[in-house]
Amino acid sequence: MTNNGFFGPKKTITLKVLRYKPGAIDPPRYDTFRVEANAVTTVLDALEEIKATQDSSLLYRHSCHPASCGTCGMRVNGREQLGCVARLLEQGSDVVVVEPLASAPLIADLVVDMTPFAERFAPAGMRLVRESEFNPEAETPVGVETFTRYEDCIECNICLSACPVANTNPAFIGPAGLAAAYRALVTGERSPAEVFAYVDHDDGVWRCHSAMECSAVCPSNVDPGHKIMALRRELVTYKVKRFFKRG
Amino acid sequence: MAVPIQHKSPAARAVQAWFNPLKRSAGFLAFVLMRITGIGLVVYLLIHMVVIGNLLRGPAGWDSLIQTMKSPWVLALDVVLIAGILIHMLNGLRVTIIGLGFGTQSHKGIFWTLMAVAVLLLAYSAWLVFTK
Amino acid sequence: MATQFHVVVIGGGSTGAALVHDLTLRGLKVTLVERGELTSGTAGRHHGLLHSGGRYAVNDQESAIECIEENQILRKIAPGSFEENDGLFVAITDEDVAYLDKFLAGCEACHIPTRVLTAEQVKRLEPHINPQVKLGVQVPDATMDCWRLPMRFFATAKRNGADIRPYTEVIGMLRTAGIVTGVRVRSHVTGKEYDIKADIVVNATGAWAEKVSEMAGARVPVKPTPGVMVAVRGRWCNMVINRLNKPSDGDIIVPQRGLSVIGTTSWTVEDPDRLGLPEDHVRLMFEKGGELIPAVRHAPMRAAWSAARPLIAEGGAQEGRALPRTFKCFDHKVRDVVEGLVTISGGKGTTMRAMAEATANVVCDKLGIDAPCRTKEVVLLPYWAYYQ
Repeated sequence: MTNNGFFGPKKTITLKVLRYKPGAIDPPRYDTFRVEANAVTTVLDALEEIKATQDSSLLYRHSCHPASCGTCGMRVNGREQLGCVARLLEQGSDVVVVEPLASAPLIADLVVDMTPFAERFAPAGMRLVRESEFNPEAETPVGVETFTRYEDCIECNICLSACPVANTNPAFIGPAGLAAAYRALVTGERSPAEVFAYVDHDDGVWRCHSAMECSAVCPSNVDPGHKIMALRRELVTYKVKRFFKRG
Repeated sequence: MAVPIQHKSPAARAVQAWFNPLKRSAGFLAFVLMRITGIGLVVYLLIHMVVIGNLLRGPAGWDSLIQTMKSPWVLALDVVLIAGILIHMLNGLRVTIIGLGFGTQSHKGIFWTLMAVAVLLLAYSAWLVFTK
Repeated sequence: MATQFHVVVIGGGSTGAALVHDLTLRGLKVTLVERGELTSGTAGRHHGLLHSGGRYAVNDQESAIECIEENQILRKIAPGSFEENDGLFVAITDEDVAYLDKFLAGCEACHIPTRVLTAEQVKRLEPHINPQVKLGVQVPDATMDCWRLPMRFFATAKRNGADIRPYTEVIGMLRTAGIVTGVRVRSHVTGKEYDIKADIVVNATGAWAEKVSEMAGARVPVKPTPGVMVAVRGRWCNMVINRLNKPSDGDIIVPQRGLSVIGTTSWTVEDPDRLGLPEDHVRLMFEKGGELIPAVRHAPMRAAWSAARPLIAEGGAQEGRALPRTFKCFDHKVRDVVEGLVTISGGKGTTMRAMAEATANVVCDKLGIDAPCRTKEVVLLPYWAYYQ
């Protein structure tokens, strides 16, 4: 990962890409493509190359390229990654299998429908921008109250795809939404009552089975597993306090 | 032919989502072990109740049961049972600890430590089962 | 009534996003087609700078004025969408210092607010800055999210009734007696081809504008001019750091989330689908970025990529940075005697709304609709509303 722009020698990699177009490529199949890759070539670069030169009908989601938009989540050799930062030569095999994320309806090829994700994530009420924790020794300039930055979570849906629970329980809020709820609670964006109304039920914070795979695959340092557990602790504390106040 | 998980039946989906630890990390392995041992222990309980039902046949049934139980094959099964209990119990401890918000960032270490404890206890139990 | 007219917009980038929003607010029926995911062309992959205009204040004042105006409007209509930490133009060498007067004069002429800071002040604001820094100028730059900002326009337009169709590629223009009457498209989801009728077709495909207008026998002088960007791990500055000098390679570092994005270079290509990623440009980013903030030289690389600016080369044989960064709307009836097709190109992410306004004005004029632009006031919905 410390590659500072050195491309190194090229190597031919075979991509096996899942293809599906309702009514046209149905049932789904794998198509095989060959691309030249160097040390900085990513899976997304390879897909763009394939689309431009080999098969213009290949569909995948992508936008930004530096792991900031969260659109290019996909399963590369069976593990969820952002295509834009998954380097082809670091996948451990000369044949790389590319598949869509699980736990979201499949639209075509590698494209999944983000609607169910957005419906579960948005009510968490996390703000897009937060106070920046970087360079704490820095003064702020005149006219800027406090340095701000975007939140870590890029809503890529990768954590839900890797979560064994989210894969079989579509009602589960999922790691991203729960982590966002925790952020909304910590920043004061939402009141405890609002946050707990969102997470304190069978398909909320209690549904997690601690596989912690969300944290393992998260490409953006969110550590949702940790935040889910922290949310549980806050919730238990809140309930215990309320119980004794009432008594 | 490729079948994306979205197109699989609920049962096939569960098998893929719950029992495939390939390419996954320690927490996922813990989850898989928890499911397998959990299901195993439930099945054991059912068998156990049927077997214990033999007692209703009186002292003769009891004696033949004890004879079967002493066979090395059944003793080996006992060790498997103990392994299941240990894994499930100690994993439950891990889930409880991190579920309360402690050690969530060192959950992998907790898992491997507890599994090491499970192996030691299992070795000791196996020695007891086969020698005492 | 405006709603009897149907406009098809080709291209789901930031211009297309702002344009469907604008046209929908003016009461037109709008369909947008995009061959891939929304903002998967240039829009998504610029470095994420909400320009103050400072970069163009000396060489290209028309762009600079557009930038500072739009900078203020976007903050108002898309609140909560930016890292509003301002920017610094820093002088590292004596040559940079010599550029100061020109820079300040340019900013003043374009109404870009500035505050001159001493080297000590700059170092206190940005501890990782090159210790050789001589002085700095604070300007109202900001960081934008290249995906979520256009998505706010799409979300609002969709809620207001626009029909947005990603994964739908235009494969031909429908023409009757030389007049463009719609587009023929192929859905990459189903593989099926079909026609969409339109009173006016708008080509908002940026660097792809020439390819698309050729389908109607029209010409657009757009030169796809890519630049390389490199993102390193770590947020080495909180403000946008610019080199106080003429626009050049590696003259900017834009902090964003936990990353610092170094940009950029400039060369010209024929095919915007095949930009490539020159290795020497990538290394140059580390080198030139390191002149601003030395630590980025050794920061782990997160990503390196190219993006194609849609520059307009009208008339002369100019290329690259000599070309203006302003935008232009072409009515092909005037240019190529092709009725029913309008092309918008040039410009930049920061001016997406203004580009849409200018284009919507042309469209409304052509259709004889008298509807004022409302996009300066209407606050945009959150981006995730697109998926609801």
